[in-house]
This record gives sequence, structure tokens and C-alpha cells, in this order.
Amino acid sequence: MKQVGRRVTGLTNTQLAAGKGTFVNDVVLPDMAFLAFLRSPYAHARIRSVDISAAMARPGVIKVLTGEDAYRDLRPIPEAWNTREIGAKGVLWYPIVKDRVRYVGEVVAAVVAEDRWTAAAALDDIEVDYEELPVVTDPIKAMEPGADLVEPAWGDNLLITRDWIAGDVDAALAGADRVVTGTVRSNRITGVSIEGRGCVAQWDAFARKLTFWESTQNPHPLRSFLAETLNMSENSIHVIQPHVGGGFGLKQPPFQEEPVVAHAAMVTGRPVKWIEERAENFMATGHSRDTRFEYTVGFNADGRVHGLRIKVIADVGAPTALLGWGQSFVTGYSLPGGYDIPDTNVQLYVVVTNKCPWNAYRGFGKDAQSFVMDRIMDHVARETGLDRTAIRYANFIRPDDFPHSQPSGAILDSGNYQGALDKLLKKIDYAGFRALQAQAAAEGRRIGLGLGQELTPEGCAMPGALMISAYDGATVRVAPSGEVTILTGVTSPGCGNETAFAQIAADVLGCKLETIRVIQGDTELCPYGLGNYSSRGTMYGGSATQLAAQDLRNKLAEVAASMLEAAPADLEAADGTFFVQGSPDRSVAFNAVVNQVYRHTFGKHAEGVEPGLESTRYFRMGNIYHQPETQGRFSNYPAWPFGSSAVVVEVDPQTGMVKVLEYTLVEDAGTVINPLLVDANLHGAITQGIGSAMYENISYDENGQLQTATLMDYTIPTAIEMPMFSIEHQETPSPFTPLGMKGAGESGLGSTLGALCGAIEDAFPELDLRITDLPLTPNRVWQSLRTAPRKDGSGFGPSPSATGAARPAVAGAVEAIR
Amino acid sequence: MQTTIKLTVNGRARTVEVDSRMILADMLRDQLRLTGTHIGCGTGNCGACTVMLDGRTVKSCCVLAADADGADVLTVEGLYTSPDDLHPIQQAFIANQGLQCGYCTPGMILSAKQLLDANPDPTEDEIRHGISGNLCRCTGYHFIVESIQDAARVLRGEASAPSASITGLPASPATDVAG
Repeated sequence: MKQVGRRVTGLTNTQLAAGKGTFVNDVVLPDMAFLAFLRSPYAHARIRSVDISAAMARPGVIKVLTGEDAYRDLRPIPEAWNTREIGAKGVLWYPIVKDRVRYVGEVVAAVVAEDRWTAAAALDDIEVDYEELPVVTDPIKAMEPGADLVEPAWGDNLLITRDWIAGDVDAALAGADRVVTGTVRSNRITGVSIEGRGCVAQWDAFARKLTFWESTQNPHPLRSFLAETLNMSENSIHVIQPHVGGGFGLKQPPFQEEPVVAHAAMVTGRPVKWIEERAENFMATGHSRDTRFEYTVGFNADGRVHGLRIKVIADVGAPTALLGWGQSFVTGYSLPGGYDIPDTNVQLYVVVTNKCPWNAYRGFGKDAQSFVMDRIMDHVARETGLDRTAIRYANFIRPDDFPHSQPSGAILDSGNYQGALDKLLKKIDYAGFRALQAQAAAEGRRIGLGLGQELTPEGCAMPGALMISAYDGATVRVAPSGEVTILTGVTSPGCGNETAFAQIAADVLGCKLETIRVIQGDTELCPYGLGNYSSRGTMYGGSATQLAAQDLRNKLAEVAASMLEAAPADLEAADGTFFVQGSPDRSVAFNAVVNQVYRHTFGKHAEGVEPGLESTRYFRMGNIYHQPETQGRFSNYPAWPFGSSAVVVEVDPQTGMVKVLEYTLVEDAGTVINPLLVDANLHGAITQGIGSAMYENISYDENGQLQTATLMDYTIPTAIEMPMFSIEHQETPSPFTPLGMKGAGESGLGSTLGALCGAIEDAFPELDLRITDLPLTPNRVWQSLRTAPRKDGSGFGPSPSATGAARPAVAGAVEAIR
Repeated sequence: MQTTIKLTVNGRARTVEVDSRMILADMLRDQLRLTGTHIGCGTGNCGACTVMLDGRTVKSCCVLAADADGADVLTVEGLYTSPDDLHPIQQAFIANQGLQCGYCTPGMILSAKQLLDANPDPTEDEIRHGISGNLCRCTGYHFIVESIQDAARVLRGEASAPSASITGLPASPATDVAG
């Protein structure tokens, strides 16, 4: 049975459903000590002195580490991006701050103690004398001349600016029938894996060996980062990734905490564990998406856009070694999304502030790009009076126009955006919605439909970046018993790529799926690889698995051919049997062929093949272009999944409450290896999108104090808010991966944001309602409704007929809509 | 202050020496090594630490271990005796892909159990409310809701085994993470 394309359940399901996974907090070592971090309570301050004497005197405290220790014994944390290679400014970031803290949560000291309560209590014993410095929290003010500076040595607060130009935007705007302007803002958010970060370090001074368990997405790159910061050889470090309780990008190194925990184990001679608390997760693990857009768009009466200028201002927090600020780069880089707008200018301003730095989070800037383009398309629809779908159809890149170049130099591999939207409109009966809406209105209920299009470039490779590249490796091994082991540098934080690898290998080898075991997340077992991010797992790990499995298949086929007295090319393999094409009765068991290789190495059938059944192969993506062309542009994303979604919401005009009634997504991430697990990932991505658009918001006050540091303040969706999802796949294969997959881990998120805004606007056809800022919390929606002018000039706010009716319970409304 | 408590955990009588400030979740994890109970926030918001205390779900990060003296505690490990006799709710989660990273799963399964113990035939809305104290960041709850619906059918005797809805393997083959 062919396994690729089957809805195979996750290989880790049984273990995890039994509660028998091994997460980092489950790692317990003899004589283990515990570490806690003292973090800056100020957004910007000079450290005059740190007094650890009282902490050291507390019974149970083993060691206190400060910036003095870090600057003396450790080296700066290496950058996840090489900022110089892309013309950005960088900083020297040490694992513990010595002189100046730049955000609430930056590491100021660490306590190692016999237990975690003592470690936590001793944090209060440390006396730090701070001198408060001016705080930068507003990115717009931060760009003004004379603004206070986050990094005085820089001279301004701009980490990088870019001005990507294609065509002649001024001429295009001058020639357009109409030109409008607008602003859009996506809010500051974070990923909230239910398991936070954490690590355990063990130092063997005699073997000179550091073993490091971490809930990380990238064990091999982490090993390199640790080696550099600790000034050790890489082969002295063994990184082990236990089960990971969700990553979503936020478990990508290099953090301050990792080398501190490792160093603490080395200087104390004790195994040391650190488990992040939820508040630490909110203040120090990383934020994203806080972006303001200003756009000018020209268009003709037919809806075709002529000329687009977008200014992108991203508030990326304090500069560190983390890769998160790169999300702002990707937002600009991937504009104008899936639309063919030859005359486009993207102006990118990446602004630093005294807030938690951005770290990678699912969407990685593509979400903000899709959001602003959806808002622009809806704006053009409103101005032209044309249907929102008509504007999108008029401007989509055509299926025959691939590869397609964007202003940034990005080269889109393939796609069929019209096809995806066609499928979507058919699936939701788009034409029938108005009748439904009218019926709801007659009952005094406001429902609206919104549309979202997402372009989600995947498989990133950044020049000079160790962790971020477009290749990975896999070893496939067949044991004498005939069972198969796959080892890969790609990791899974729960997304299920291990299951896809097993499916791919089963098809190539013709063995039974249940005989395959997958091993990931160990730098001494697995081939070198870069782990999990940018939806790369199946694209690169899966392709490498296929290559390695093919090597073994070729060897086994040669042996089997000898056994069956046939030509290797005439053999097929399936379900653990090799057989001659067209003559299934001429067959030999997979295990019997393996047996020849291992036990009859010098026998008749195996004498012509190299002994052993193991192959390690690397897959390298074919369409990365790092040698810059004339304008210095390069193409670092090889695969461009697309999605088209529709959401139906009900809005309560009296409260501004928005309820999602239906969510439909047509996703095109190329060939789908496992539709069940891709759907599972899409469900999660849609939910994270809806959550970030409607309920979640990272908030700072003007002093740079974080106001949302618990799950009561930062509210991720519960089951109550979410609907069942309707998913359909379109498969436009990547021309550059052997099976055609493009990566689906981030897909589904980008189209939620604009779709929700559009749906709320659509629920009030009588209003000139413009939803431009996220999140869509009831208060903000209510304010927008109150102040929106009526199109007939009769005043502001929803027409009374819609607000006066008694409103049925939302649960009832859900049932009615379904 | 150390104190000795006696309680029943997963059907087994236990005597445990605990600090009076210790939370139930830490006692289960650190003293009894029942690490299927996970901690995601420590403030009673996420529900990963959900266990049953005298037949009702509690967030074990918000219960002092000392307060469980004399109680009957059920954790995810108490739902089965071997991999071959997992609880129908667990089987349904496995068959319907009602989990991804697995961190919220033990708590989610116990909340589902409480729901189905009290209401064998819940509506979708009742299921959603029943698990609303358990946050999941991976699944969007879709397959969790279907898993619970599937488990309910089995527990009502309408189906002999979960998973009419997908064509996946009935049970998972082995996989390893190191460590």
C-alpha cells in the first residue's frame, strides 16, 4: 500500500497520550541543582553594582553568576543571522548583562541552589543598584531626530532599512484612475507553547564532555552556539532534544539562558536544571508582528492595481543575537504577496525599542505581509465598488507567470492562486452568502464574510547563517532483522514530520510502515542538520530520507533481482515484498533480501553489492540564489505555499463581541504527504491566527513595563472560541522537491488576520467601517462601530434596526449557521 | 515544614513526605515520578496539570499536596495498566490525532473523562465548555473535539473501537526521541 498521501496518525501518539513522553522537566539526574535567573525590572538602566553576598550566604545556594562572570569566562552569543552580511546593525550580547539592561527580562544574574525554591528565594537577596535611563517604547518617536537611543553607539534606532523598488511607482500612481492611502497595524504577540523553555546541563570534567538537554528546535546549531559562547570544541558537547511541548519558532536558539546553565554546570560540577516560568516566557522568550504599515495604492476602475508604495515600520524590541527581527525583513521581502504589481516600492524601517526582542514565531513576518495586502485589496474593492474577489482575481500572479520575481529579488517557484480562490468560493457557496446574511439580519443578527489570501514563503536560507539554510540530512538504516531506522537532523516539536519520513521511506523501500522507527534530536546519533523552522521538515528531511532510502532500495533491488532471476529495473516492492512487475507470484520477502546482504555477504546474490544497509544523504534545495544580482537582491525562499480562506463571523453591535462561526481554508502547500497531519497543523495555525487577531496582545506601558505576563492577561483561544474548521487542499507541486512538497507548518495563519477584519466590515454594509488595527477586541470593535459614518450620511454607527432586536444566544446562532 | 500524608494515587496507597508548601503537581512529578502530569503555567490557567481528586478534576498546581491527605488521586498514568489497554479516551485521541506535541494531552484527557463521566452524550458545545479549562496551542481543538465525540460513542457502547473517521493505523509503531 502506498503510504504517501495516507492519513496516517502520528508515530508519537501512543506514548504522548499515555503521558509517557520525556519532556525536559522530566529529565532528572543524580545530585542535580537548580538555576533561577534574576531579570531586569527596568526597561533601560545602567547597572552601577551587583551585590551577591546575601544570596551566597543563604543556606542551599551553591553559586551566583553575574555579568562579571559572563564577561570574564564566556564569549558573546553568536548571532542567529550574520547581521553584517545583510547590512544590519548588531550588538555584542553576553549571556549575562554587566553594564546596561535594555528590556524588562534581560538576564542580570543567575543563582544555582540545591532546590528551585531556594534558587528563587535567593534572587531577592541579590542587590542590584540600577540607574534608570530614558526608555524608548514608541517606534515612531524612536525614528525622530534627537530621539533617545536604545543603542547609543548606533546613532539612531534603526536596525536596518531597505528600499526595494520595482518599476516606476511614481509614474504608475500618476497614471492610475484613482490613488488612495491608508494605514494598517498588526499588534505585538507571542507564541505561547504550553511547555515553556528549559534545559539541563551535565558536565563530565574527566571526559571533558558537556551533555545538554533542551526543549529546543535546533540541536545541532545550538551545539555550535554553545561551543562558541563557552569557548569549547563542538565535539565536547552533546545536545539532546527530549520531547518538545510546542515550539512555533520560539524555541530557536541562541538565548542568554542556554550558555549560563551550561556554564553553571561546569563551574559547580553539578548537573543543573532550569525550567522557565510562564512570566519569563512572556518577558524574555520573544515577541513578534508589531508592525505599522502606511500605503499608497493606485488602481483603475477595473480593479487592477497600478502602483503600490508601502512603508513598513516594525518595532522589534531590543537588538540581541536572536533571529526574530528578521521577521520584519521577511514582511518587506515578500510584499506584495501573491499579486502581480509591477510598480512597487517597499520601504522597510526596522526600529529597536526597550522591549523584549522579537523571536521567531509561526508566520515569521509573512503573516503581516498577507494581512496588509488583504486590507489593501479590500480597500480597493470598497473604492471601486467591485466585489472583493474581483480585485483579487484582477491582480493575482497568473499560474503561467512562474517563476515570478518580486521587488525584493524573491523568486516565487509556482502557484495557482486563482485555482485556490475558485475552490474556496465554491466550497463556501460564496454567492449564497448574501441570502444567509439577509436572513440573519431579519432576525436582528449581524453576520459578515471575510476573505484572506496568504503567501507563505518557506524553507529559508540566509547567507552566512549557520542555522538557517535550505538543506538537511537523513540516515536510513535497515537492521539484519529487516526493521528500518531513520535518523535525521530535522526535528519535530509535535508537528509530526517523523510520521511523514516513515511514509516516504516505506514507499521507497517497499517495507511495512510499522517496521520503521524514527530518531531525531540528538547530535551524537543523528546526521548534522538544522532542525525545525520555516516549514522545512518534510521538504528537506523528507527529501533527504527519500534519497537515502533510494540508495538502499537500489542495493536491495540488485540482490532481489538475483534471487528472482530478473532485472532490477523490473522489480517492484510493496508491503515488505519484492516482486517482478506484472508477476506478483515471482516474489521474495523484504527480510529475505536483507538476510542475503547480512548473512550471505559472500554468497551468490549479494556478492556484487557493498556490504551494509545504511545510507546518509543530504538534500539541497535547487532554487536558492545567494549570489546577489545587480541590485544586490537575492532569493532566499525556495517554496511559496498559498492559501485562500473565508471566515463568517457574527458581531454583536452592542458589545463589539465577535464570534467566529465558520472558517474555511483552501491550502496549497504542494504535494501533501500526510493529509491528516497537515490538516492538524493547519487547524493549529488558523487558531493561532484567530487568537492573535482577536484575543492576544502584548502590552507595555510608557516605562517599558510588560503588562501582559500571565495567561490571564495574554489570552490564547480556548475550545469555546473556536469553530470546527473546513479544510481543502489544492496541490501545485514544487518543481524543486522530489515529491513536490512545499512545507505546510506555517500555512493557514496569514490569511486569518485580514479575513477577520473584512468579515467584521462586511457585517455592517450600511457603514463606511474600516478595521485597520489588531487585535479585534470587543472594546476596539465597538469603538470602530460607534465612530463609523453611515454611507447614507444619516450619522454614525450601525443602523438602529440591527441593534434593537433581542439577540439570540451565540450558541444558538452557531447552530443556525451550520 | 515537612509533613507526612497518606493518599491513594492511581489505586495504590502511598505515604509521602512533603513540604507543607509543596503543590500536588510537584508531589506527583517529583516524589512519585508520575511525570505525565505536566506544568505549563503554575497559575491554574493552562490546565496541563489537571488530575482527578476524589473523582473531580483539579488543577494540581493550585492544590497543596498536604491538602490531598486522605484523598484519592487519579493521574493520566492511572487510566491504563499497559500500552495495550489504554482508556477509550486515550485510544480515541490516538486514532483521531487529538494531540500534537502531547504536552496538554494528559490534562485534556482527564477533563474529557470528567465530562463523559457526567455526560455520556455531550453536544459539541458541551464538549468545548468541558475542556475550556485546558489550553492547547497545537491542535485548534478540532481533532480533540472529534476524539471526545469518538470516545463517547465507544463508552456508550455504540462502537467497539474508536476511529471510524480516519484511515490511519489503529496503533502507532514505535518512535524515539533521544533521552
